[in-house]
Amino acid sequence: MTESRPAGAELVDERPAHGGSVLEVRDLVKHYPVRSGLLRRSAGAVKAVDGVSLTLDRGRTLGLVGESGSGKSTLARVLVGVETPTSGQVLVDGEDVTGRSRAGRKQLRRDVQMVFQDPYTSLNPRMSVSEIVGEPFAIHRIDPAGGRRAAVGELLELVGLDPDHANRYPHQFSGGQRQRVGIARALALRPKILVCDEPVSALDVSVQGQVINLLEDLQEELGLSYLFVAHDLGVVRHIAHDVAVMYLGRIVEQGPEADVYGAARHPYTQALLSAVPVPDPSVRLVAPTVVEPSPVEPPLVEPVDPSLVEPVETRIQTGEKRPGIGGIVLEGDPPSPVDPPSGCPFHTRCWLAPTLPEARGEAAASSTKGSETESAGPVVPDRGLRLVPSVCETEVPALVTRGAAPDHVAACHFARELAAPGAGA
Amino acid sequence: MSAATDRTQATPSGTPLLEVTDLAVEFRTPDGVVRAVDGLSYRVEAGRTLAIVGESGSGKSVSSLAVMGLLPDTARVTRGSVRLGGTDLLTLSRKEHRARCGDQVAMVFQDALAALNPVHTVGYQLTEALRARRGLSRGDARKRAVELLDLVKVPNAKARVKEYPHQFSGGMRQRVMIATALAMDPDVLIADEPTTALDVTVQAQVLRLLAEIQAERHMGLVLITHDLGVVAGVADDVTVMYAGRAVEQAPVVPVYTTPAHPYTRALLRSIPSAAGTGRLPVIPGRPPSPAAMPAGCPFHPRCDAVRDVCRTDVPPRATPAPGRMSACHFASDIMAGREPAPEAGVTASASGGSVPEPKGDPDD
Repeated sequence: MTESRPAGAELVDERPAHGGSVLEVRDLVKHYPVRSGLLRRSAGAVKAVDGVSLTLDRGRTLGLVGESGSGKSTLARVLVGVETPTSGQVLVDGEDVTGRSRAGRKQLRRDVQMVFQDPYTSLNPRMSVSEIVGEPFAIHRIDPAGGRRAAVGELLELVGLDPDHANRYPHQFSGGQRQRVGIARALALRPKILVCDEPVSALDVSVQGQVINLLEDLQEELGLSYLFVAHDLGVVRHIAHDVAVMYLGRIVEQGPEADVYGAARHPYTQALLSAVPVPDPSVRLVAPTVVEPSPVEPPLVEPVDPSLVEPVETRIQTGEKRPGIGGIVLEGDPPSPVDPPSGCPFHTRCWLAPTLPEARGEAAASSTKGSETESAGPVVPDRGLRLVPSVCETEVPALVTRGAAPDHVAACHFARELAAPGAGA
Repeated sequence: MSAATDRTQATPSGTPLLEVTDLAVEFRTPDGVVRAVDGLSYRVEAGRTLAIVGESGSGKSVSSLAVMGLLPDTARVTRGSVRLGGTDLLTLSRKEHRARCGDQVAMVFQDALAALNPVHTVGYQLTEALRARRGLSRGDARKRAVELLDLVKVPNAKARVKEYPHQFSGGMRQRVMIATALAMDPDVLIADEPTTALDVTVQAQVLRLLAEIQAERHMGLVLITHDLGVVAGVADDVTVMYAGRAVEQAPVVPVYTTPAHPYTRALLRSIPSAAGTGRLPVIPGRPPSPAAMPAGCPFHPRCDAVRDVCRTDVPPRATPAPGRMSACHFASDIMAGREPAPEAGVTASASGGSVPEPKGDPDD
C-alpha cells in the first residue's frame, strides 16, 4: 500500500490492506499478577485479556460483547491508555502507541477518548458542567479558537444540551443528560475514536434510545469511530457494524453484525443470543401458566377483531426466526480468568461439545444419549462427568473463517457443526 | 352466583392471594410531600406471574415495599388496601403487618450482595427466619438450609452453607436470595429486579429457576422489572406503571400485540433490536419528577397522540376490551392502532369513568 504516513513507517509496511482502519489491536495481552503470602510472591495471573486482535475501521462501530469478567472493559481501558498492556500492540492510525511514555499516552488521548458507563460517578459532583467539559482543554493546554467558554457552549449544543446550563452541577441533571455531558467531555479534543464502555446500561429504556441516536448522529457528523462495549446484545446489534464476542479474555467470534447475529458460528455466541429475552410473548422462556382456578378475565382474548387492528409497528411482530429464549441455557458461571480451562476456554460450559460423536469416542456412549433430548441440551449435574471431544480440552481453537463470509471468524473446533443447523438461528 | 356478581365488577372469580386496591404512597421530602404511588390496583393469583413494568421512579418498587410493610419512615400510605387472604394488611399495626407478610409473602431484592449480610454464613441467613419464627434448633436449621440450597440448585449445597456471601458468584448469590425468600413457604413471592445485575446467560438460569419453583408450589409471583424482554418471557399478566400510576393492565400477549396506552406502545418501539437500523424511535423528554407532576395525564408531555383533553383531565381507567385497563382518554383508538380523532374523542371516552368498549365505534 502506498499510504504515506510520517512516523512508524516500518509498521505501516506490514499492515494488510486495511486502508480504512483507524485502530488496530494485535495480540493484546493484559495480565494482572495475583500475589499471595507474606512475601507477595506472584502466584499466577488474572488473564483479563489474553491475546486479542481487532480492527476498527474509520467511521464505523465495532461492538464488543461478553459477560462480566470476559475482559471487555479491561480491553477498553488498555485502548485509551489507562492500563498498559502486558504485551501486544495497539495501533492508532497505523502508529504503535503501546509502550509510550506518560507524555506519549497523554498525546494518545487526543485521539482516543472514553465515555464511561455510570454518568453518576464519572462526573465530579463539585465541578460545574462547563468545568467538566472544558477540563480536557486545560489538561492539554489547548486554547480552542474563540475561547474555552464558546467551545464548551458548542460542545453542549452538539450533544443536545442547553449551553445556558453550563454553570449547573451534575446533580441538577438527569441520567441521560449527564451521559450527554460525559460525551461532550469526550468530544472536546476532537478525537478520532470514542471508546464507549456500557454507555447506556445505566439509563432507563426510554432514555437509552436518545443517547444511542445521539451517538449515531455524532458519528455521521464528525466521522467518529466507536468501540462500543456492552453486554446488551440488542443495543449492540442496533449500533454496531461489526461485532466481536469475548469470553474469558479471548475473542471467540467476530464478524459483520448481520453475520454474527444471523448465523452465529460459535456455540457461546449462540447461547448468548438465545439467552437474550426478546420482547415477544410468543417466544417464551416459560410456558404461559395454565389457569385452572380462574376461568376468568377472558385470559388472552384477541381484544378486537384482528383485521381491524393495525399491527403496531413494534418489531416484535416480524416473526423473525430465532431459537427461542432459553433454547440454550448454559450451566454455571464463567470460569475464573485466573485459572482458565485448558484448550478451548468455553469447553467447560459448552452445550455443543458433549453432543458431538467425538465426545463419546473413547468412553463408549455411556449415558449422554438421554441428555440430548431436552431443549436445554445436555444436563450434566457434575462437570467432572462431562465428556467433550479431547481436542476441545487440549487445543486452543484458532479464530478461523468457515464458509462464504471471509470476515466472519469463530474460534471453535466444531464450527462446521454449527454452520448448518445454527444458520437459521 | 357470587361469581356472577364478581364478574359484573370486572373482576375474576378466582380468589386472589394478594389484592392491592387503590394504593397511594406519599413521601415527605424537603421540597414538600411527593406522591410516589397513586391509585395502584392489582391482584396476584396462585400459580400466575404478574409483571410490574416501569422506569426508575415509576413507583414500582415503592408499591411493593408498601405491600411488605417495609416503607421507610418518611413514607406514608395515604389510601387503599392490601388484602392478603381476606385481611387488609394496612389496617394492622406495623408489627402485625410484617408478621403476616413474613409468613405468606416474601421478597427477593435486586442486589443480592447488598441484601445479604457479609459477616454471616449463607446457611445462617437462610434459616434466620425459621429459627426466629418457628424455633428450629441449630441442627434442624442446618439441615433445612442444605435443602433450600438444593432447591435452588446451588451445587454442593452441604459445603456451601458454611460459606459467606462473597464466596458466591452473582448468579449463585441471587439463588441464595431466592432460597431465603422460600424458607417460610410463602404463597406470594415479590421479586424486585431479581436478574438486573446478572449476565444474560445467568439471567436465563435464574428466571427459569423461579418459574420452575413457582409452578411446583403454585405460588403467586410478582416480578418487578424494567425489561420488556423478561416480561414477555415469563409473565402471565402485566401492569405498566408510569409516574406512580398503572397506565396499562392486561394479559401479556395483548400488551405486546395491541398496546392500549401510548406509553406502552412507545416503550415497545424504543427497544433496539433485530430489524432496526437507522434511528431508534424514542420517547422524547423524560419521566416527570414526582414533585412536579404535569396536569392532566402524567404522560401527556411525552405522548405522540396528545390531545387537548390530555393536558387538563386525568384519564379515567378505561376498559378498551374485556380484561384490559388503560389509563388513556383514547385507549380504544390506541389499541386499534388508530390516531385519536383531533378533538372528537373528548366526549366519547372521557365520560363516566370506565366505559366498556365505546359502543358506537364506527370503524369500517
